[in-house]
Amino acid sequence: MNGARIMVVDDEKIVGKMIKASFEQDGYTVETFSDANPALARLEEEKFAVVITDLKMKDIDGMQVLETIKAESPETKVIMITAFASMDAAIEALRKKVDDFFPKPIKIKDLKLCVKDLLSE
Amino acid sequence: MKIVHKIMWANIINIIFIALVYLFAVQFLELILAKLQFVEIADDLNASFLEMRLSEKNYFLYGDETVLKEIKGKLDESINSITSVQDSIVRAVGDSKYKELRRSVEEYKAAIQQVAANIASATEDTSMQETVRDSGRKLREFSAKIVSLERKKVNDIISHSKKVLFYFFCVAILIAMAATYLFFSKFLRSLKGIEKTATCISQGDFCKVEGTVTGDELGSVMAAINSMSEELDSRYEQIVQSRKLASLGILTAGVAHELGNPLNNIALVAQTYLELADHLSKEDTIDYMRTIEEETHRIEKIVQDLLHFSKPKQPNSKATEVNSVVEKSFKLVHNMLHVSGIDARLNLQEGLPHVFIDEDRIQEVIVNLIINAIEVMSPGGVISLKTYLEEKGDYVVIEVEDTGEGITAEHLPHIFDPFFTTKGVRGTGLGLSVSYGIIKNHKGNMKVESKEGVGTTFFIELPVHRLIA
Repeated sequence: MNGARIMVVDDEKIVGKMIKASFEQDGYTVETFSDANPALARLEEEKFAVVITDLKMKDIDGMQVLETIKAESPETKVIMITAFASMDAAIEALRKKVDDFFPKPIKIKDLKLCVKDLLSE
Repeated sequence: MKIVHKIMWANIINIIFIALVYLFAVQFLELILAKLQFVEIADDLNASFLEMRLSEKNYFLYGDETVLKEIKGKLDESINSITSVQDSIVRAVGDSKYKELRRSVEEYKAAIQQVAANIASATEDTSMQETVRDSGRKLREFSAKIVSLERKKVNDIISHSKKVLFYFFCVAILIAMAATYLFFSKFLRSLKGIEKTATCISQGDFCKVEGTVTGDELGSVMAAINSMSEELDSRYEQIVQSRKLASLGILTAGVAHELGNPLNNIALVAQTYLELADHLSKEDTIDYMRTIEEETHRIEKIVQDLLHFSKPKQPNSKATEVNSVVEKSFKLVHNMLHVSGIDARLNLQEGLPHVFIDEDRIQEVIVNLIINAIEVMSPGGVISLKTYLEEKGDYVVIEVEDTGEGITAEHLPHIFDPFFTTKGVRGTGLGLSVSYGIIKNHKGNMKVESKEGVGTTFFIELPVHRLIA
């Protein structure tokens, strides 16, 4: 599924930058956002195969991003990443139909495998 | 002197005084009693002389001889009576007067005997009658004089006793007042000192009882309070430190997130570099390395802030700008606020005068208040931090307001009491009390307003530093 569109939303810009560099090497098209609002706006314009979003962000909560995506475009896969990996947050994300949940620090190899698996479903 | 000894001495003096009054009263009463007994005898004598005179008159009028015998019998009784109370009479009227009385009685007796010896001519002999009458009158006058003299003496003794008892009463009052002053003025002064010290200690100022520690029981209490105050003072630092460590534990939740991000960034850069090393330009490599370095600094800064907060510090007050302290405190907790979903609003007035404070201590208080606020609010809550100058311009106020559940009116007056907590086993009940002590040590005030269901506002008032401002 190389060439698939991936969106990364994280207020830590380096996260987007590195995922983009690594994933684009494998042929994915990656767009990065450091704020949730412009990311959601972009999602309305175009469909993305996978959205990787941080849980805690300044303007909108990652949980809300997940909810919005699953409501408007259920086929889009959502992977949540967080530095604050509490059991409660993980359970809530699962309830909201998150596709996977990664605590920081992230292993890019695992993330890639996960994306690959999700896209081949 | 111990209080128990003082009371004992007061009682001894009291008992001695009462005993003196008792002895005096008994003595006077005995004197009065003796006088009254004597007056009674004198009265009897007087009555007896009066009877004799009447009998004598009857004899000269009617010449009844049996009357003379009666007079003689009464005279003998009187002489016996006079002899038996000789001492009393001598004491009352003096020896010469006593002798005069005896002589008068003897004379009267002689006159009566002469009349008895000359019964035939007695009623006719006017010179003999005259002698009898004269000596009888003398005797009667004399005895009446003794009675009135003795009555007067009794009256004198009673009025003298009244005066003496009144003086005793005055002296008793003076002694009572002096004893009260001597024993209790010092006692009350010490009690006042103890009360003042207890108030100071309850407000976090570990002062000592003023004045010298006396050797009595109160002195022991003063010494115990002083040593307690010293002990509290030395323990205070430990309490502050343990409270800070408790805050630190709560802060860790936020710190985990705070550290997680730069760590993740470093990990991501390293992994990407390893993956793309062959394809990266020199600029990219430099950019990656710089990112790693920056993120390491970020971690270092977080760790340093935490270390600075947790480290025990020597008190160090200096003229400080309040807003910078509020901002530093806020920085320490902003991530925790973020994680807890609490919205924070800062409204710091520009150009505030400086305050003379120990920055670290005040920072601890603010952090503590914010952590407390976070704990009572659910996600979506709002915490407002404000700084402004109080109306009169004497204090700079730091306001920490939350939209939590508020504190009940029942709990509000106890909120700064040591070990008072509404958090159950989670709270030590020391946070606010230590904070209160810190602010009081800065000559400031800490107040609270709360409305159930609306929220709570804490006001920290710090005196303006006039030298600098």
